[in-house]
Amino acid sequence: MSRLRPSHQNKREFRFKEWMDGSVDPYLGNLEMKPQQLTEETKEQFDERIQDYVRLNAELYDTEKNKGVRMFRILYRISSVIWIALLIGVMLLTVSHLPPNGDPDNPVNNEVSKRYIEQGLQETGAVNIVTGMILDYRAFDTFGESNVLFIATVTVLILLRKNQKMHNEKDMKEDQDDEKYEPQSDTILKTVAKVLVPVIFVFGLYVILNGHLGPGGGFSGGAIMGAGLILYCITFGFEKTERFFTEKTYKWISFTALSVYCLSKAYSFYTGANGLHSHIPLGTPGAILSSGLIFVLNICVGMVVTITMYTFYAMFRKGDF
Amino acid sequence: MIRTIIAAAFIIFGLLLFAVEIYGVNRFSFIMNRMHAAAIGDTLAMMSCMAGLIIYSGFNFTSLKLLLVVVFLCFSSPVSSHLIMNLEVETNEKANTHYEEETLTDEDDRLDDEEA
Repeated sequence: MSRLRPSHQNKREFRFKEWMDGSVDPYLGNLEMKPQQLTEETKEQFDERIQDYVRLNAELYDTEKNKGVRMFRILYRISSVIWIALLIGVMLLTVSHLPPNGDPDNPVNNEVSKRYIEQGLQETGAVNIVTGMILDYRAFDTFGESNVLFIATVTVLILLRKNQKMHNEKDMKEDQDDEKYEPQSDTILKTVAKVLVPVIFVFGLYVILNGHLGPGGGFSGGAIMGAGLILYCITFGFEKTERFFTEKTYKWISFTALSVYCLSKAYSFYTGANGLHSHIPLGTPGAILSSGLIFVLNICVGMVVTITMYTFYAMFRKGDF
Repeated sequence: MIRTIIAAAFIIFGLLLFAVEIYGVNRFSFIMNRMHAAAIGDTLAMMSCMAGLIIYSGFNFTSLKLLLVVVFLCFSSPVSSHLIMNLEVETNEKANTHYEEETLTDEDDRLDDEEA
């Protein structure tokens, strides 16, 4: 609480808005800060360091003069071999105690998988039982996975995103040096990418939208579409991708996808737990618009995976969007 | 039965080419030679294996998707080889000991003109 600010600026709502916008650094003025100094060593210090290094290698680690090091190296090799042999033995012993493959009495073949196989089609409406499992019976688990992807991307953005205000001359020169080795001016790559990128996108969409009918789904289709985006970015550079994919796009897509997932699944959990009738039609199995929520959830997961892949690539390539 | 045998022949041929590829990649010491070996595996060996799988599965939607994989590799593998080679030529500091650049002579120019 500062008495120097006008009274409306001390209100909790205003402070929350400031914190959301990031317009005020909450640590500034409240925390003792010291800018990092570059450590520079003088000529004498450098010579001393090199001399130490050479002497250490010549005298201390010389096996002819130092018997202890020699013994240690021999012991080290022998013990590592013994240790690895022990590990291999333990693992082989475990494998030999595993139940035989394909036995109907195995602990895997319990009532859970039986139920998935026998009643999965009626209960979820998805022809692909795997999609029915991960997006209906275990939808909460998949929701956690999508959130893990989101949190990982946010962390990468915090760590690696460049601040445009602090872009100085040294960074400009670095960018120019980087551009020398980038394949953007390559005609062969451009021609091939023009043909391939649309095909990759259509195939990724097909895999996402067909997830409840055949092999595929949100994760694999999203990975395909993310790879297509990365190829587009390699070929045509950040100027072209920035026209449709910026930080704002990332924010809104991830927000929309995750909240749609959360709300729709909350509805089905609520109705399921209270024994209410769900109003979502399952449709006829095999049709493209069927299996109720799974179709929507596949699209949500696919979008999250796509933008995660692209954002990772853009951040690790010193990109800024 | 005959279809299975033909498919198996294709796949085994592809696997043999993969073995050649891996041997070549580890045997050669310079990047260009190694890439030549690796490109064989990426194009011909992969195509042969995929052709075997297509023959094995017959003509249906799965084989169409496999064909798409073949077409995709056909496009992308040579391009990636080309890009890596470009980077190698530009950045290798010991380039003159690894390979020699061919300089065009008058004879080459004359041959080019005749072809065109």
